[in-house]
Amino acid sequence: MASTPAFRLFCLGRQYSRSYEPISWLCAVRNNGVYSQERKISSVAPAKHNQRPDWNRAVSEAEKIVGYPTSFLSLRWLLSDEIANVALHLRKLVGSNHPLLKTAKSLIYNGRNNMQAWGLIVLLISKAAGHCKVDDIEEDKAAGVLYSQRALAEVTEMIRTSHLVHKGLVNIYPNDYDSAELSDMSFGNKIALLSGDYLLTTSCIELAALRNNEVIDLIASAVRDQALSEFVGNRDKQNNPLPGNSEMSSAEEDWTRRNVLSAGSLLGNACEGTLHLAGHSKIVQEKGHKFGKHLALAWQACLELEPFTNLHYTPNSTFNLTSAPVMFHLERDPSLYTEINKGADSIYDVDYAKVHSWRRPDSPCQHHPCHGATLIKTTSTLLSSTWLNPPSRKEAGAMCT
Amino acid sequence: MKSEGCRTLSTQHPGPGSVSVPQYETVDPYTLTEDDLKIVNHNIRQELLMNTNSEELQRISTYYFDGQGKSIRPMIVLLMARALNYHMNGKSGLSQSQLSMAMVSEMIHTASLVHDDVIDSSDFRRGKPSINAIWSQKKVAMAGDFIIAVVSKILANMKNCDVTSTIAQALSDLVQGEFMQLGAKETENERFAHYLTKTYRKTASLMANSLKSSALLAGADDQLCDVAFQYGRNIGLAFQLVDDLLDFISSSETMGKPTATDLKLGLATAPVLFACEKFPVLNPMIMRRFQEPGDVEKAFELVHKSQGLEQTRFLAKKHCDEAIRLANTIADSPYQKALIVVSDFVITRMK
Repeated sequence: MASTPAFRLFCLGRQYSRSYEPISWLCAVRNNGVYSQERKISSVAPAKHNQRPDWNRAVSEAEKIVGYPTSFLSLRWLLSDEIANVALHLRKLVGSNHPLLKTAKSLIYNGRNNMQAWGLIVLLISKAAGHCKVDDIEEDKAAGVLYSQRALAEVTEMIRTSHLVHKGLVNIYPNDYDSAELSDMSFGNKIALLSGDYLLTTSCIELAALRNNEVIDLIASAVRDQALSEFVGNRDKQNNPLPGNSEMSSAEEDWTRRNVLSAGSLLGNACEGTLHLAGHSKIVQEKGHKFGKHLALAWQACLELEPFTNLHYTPNSTFNLTSAPVMFHLERDPSLYTEINKGADSIYDVDYAKVHSWRRPDSPCQHHPCHGATLIKTTSTLLSSTWLNPPSRKEAGAMCT
Repeated sequence: MKSEGCRTLSTQHPGPGSVSVPQYETVDPYTLTEDDLKIVNHNIRQELLMNTNSEELQRISTYYFDGQGKSIRPMIVLLMARALNYHMNGKSGLSQSQLSMAMVSEMIHTASLVHDDVIDSSDFRRGKPSINAIWSQKKVAMAGDFIIAVVSKILANMKNCDVTSTIAQALSDLVQGEFMQLGAKETENERFAHYLTKTYRKTASLMANSLKSSALLAGADDQLCDVAFQYGRNIGLAFQLVDDLLDFISSSETMGKPTATDLKLGLATAPVLFACEKFPVLNPMIMRRFQEPGDVEKAFELVHKSQGLEQTRFLAKKHCDEAIRLANTIADSPYQKALIVVSDFVITRMK
C-alpha cells in the first residue's frame, strides 16, 4: 500500500473508495494496520464484522438523506494545484518514516471511520432543523440545505483535517537521526506544515465568503481550542498526552476539558453555526451547540472504550493513555501511575499489556461504560427534544448509538 | 569577497536613495506612529494572553511581540489610515478598527515567521534565539495556528465582511507563495514571472491587502482603496527585491543573517535571474537548486560579475517611484508625507 502513487492517494482515493464494499474494505484496511492519527495509539485487534456494521450503514443512510456522498465534501480542495503539488512531494516521502504519509493514508482509507463524518453531521443537523430563509436561490434543493451550510460542512472537515495534519509533525531532537533521515523528516515536516496551513487558509476564504461574522467567530474559536488542546497536561517528547498534572479536580472534568478542546468545540460550534446560517433562534442554536459537543464526546468515549471491551486484545498494542478508561482508573487507583510515568520520554516505553491488565470485572474502569452511556443518552435526549424532521433525526440518532 | 562586492557597488552607484530624502527630513514615520505602535503591540499581547490559560502557549505566542521588530506593516497601515482619514474628512484621527487592522497585519506576519521557524534550522532571529531553538516543532506549529485563530476572531469582531475577505485573501496568498517556493521547475521564460508572483504572494500581498482594508475601514471608495492597495503592493515588491539584493551584498551584521542565504536554500532570486541572461551557465544550477558543491560560490561570483544587482536595484527603484506617485495622489498631510519617506527608506537600505 505504501507504493500507491501519492497523487491517487490524495486526489482519487476517495472516489475509488466508494467502489469497494464498505465493510469488508474497511476491515481489510484495518487488518493492514492502517489507523487514523487518533487511532494510532488506540489500535487493537481488527474488529469483527458484526461489531461495526451499524456505523457504515448509518453513514450510507445519512448520505442518502442529505443527498450528498461525503466523499465529495472535500473534493473541491483536494483537486487544487497546491494539493497536486503536495501529492508530488509526498512521493519523495514514500519509504521514509515520516508519519505524514500515514496521516494522508488515514484521511483517505480510513475516512469513513471518523474523519468524513463531521461534515456529514453538520449537514444532517442542517437538514433536520430546516431553514427559515425564504430565498430559493440560496438553497440546494436536492439536498435540502443551504449552499452556505454545505460550505460550512466543508470548512469543518478542512479544519479538523488541518489540525490532524499539524499534529502529525515530528519533533526533531539533536542526534535522533542520521543526516539522510533528518532531511526526510525536515522535508516531511515542511510539507505537513504547509498542507495544514493550506487547509486553514482555504477555510478562511470559504468562511469569509459566507459574510457572517458570528459564524467566523465560532469557527475561529474552534481553531483556537484545537491548538489549545495540544498544551493540556503532561506530554512526552513527541507531544503525546500523558495523564496527570492537570488543574482539574476530577478525572471526568479533566477528560472532558481535553476532549471539548480537541473535538467538542469544533463540532459544537459548527452545529451552532449552521443553525445560525439557517436563521434559527438563539435557543435552537444553543441546542445545536450542545448536540455537536456531546456527540463528539460520546464518539470519543466509544472509540476509547474499544481496546477495553474488545475480547481480542493484541499483546503490546497501544492505546491512548489519556483515554477515559485509563483516566477513570487512575483516579481510583493512582498506583498505576508508576507504570504510566515510564512514558515521560515516550509513551511507547509504557507496558501497555500491564496497563490493560487492570481491566477486570471488579476494576474501576467498568465505571466507564456507564459514563459513555450517559453521554450518549444526553445526546439522544437533546436530539429528540429539538427537531422535528424525522428521518434526519433518526439517522443522527443512529450515529450516536 | 562579500565586502569587495559591497564596495564596488557602492562606488558605482552614488545611491539613488539619496535623491528625495532631504525634502521631507522633518517627517519621521516612526516618530509619527510611535505611540500608536506601542498601543498596537500592547493590544496584541493582551489579545493573545486573553485567549489562553496555558502559560506555555502564552510564552510561545507572544515571543516575537517584544517590541523589537521593525513593525513596518503596522506602521504603514497606521500611516495610510490616518492619511486617508485626513484626505476624506480633514481629520487624521484613527478609528478603533483601523488600530485593530494594524494589529492584524503584524500578527499575520509574525504567525508566518513562527511557522517559518518550524522548518528553518537557523538558531537566531531578530537577534535572539529563534522559537524553534526553545520549543518543539509541534508546539510551535500549534502556536502559529493559535495566532491565526485569534486574528480571525479580531476580524470577526470588526464586523466588516469586505475587510475579512480581503485579509483572508492575503492569508491564502502567503501560503500559496510558500507552495510556489517549493518550486515546480519552470522554463526560463516563465521563471521571472513565477518569481514576481511568488514575491507578491509572500510579501506584497499582506501589505497591499492590509492597506486596502485600512482604506475600506476609512470608508474610501473603490478608486481610493486601489491607491492604498497599489501603494502597498509596490512597497512590498520593492521591499522584497531589496532584501534579495542585500542577500548578495550586505554583511551578516546589517542583515542579522548570513549572506547568500537564498542561494544556500536553493532559491533563485531576482539578481540570479537577471544574471542568467548574461551567464546561461547559471540555468542548470538554478534547476538543481545550487545543490552541487561549488554551486553557491560560483553563482555568487557570476551575479557580481553581471548586471544582476544593478537591474534588481533598478526594478526596486521603479516600484518605489510608483509608490511615491500613488502617495502623492492623497491630500497633503504629515502622514501622507511619511508614506513617501517610507518608500525612500526602502531605497536607502540599498545604498
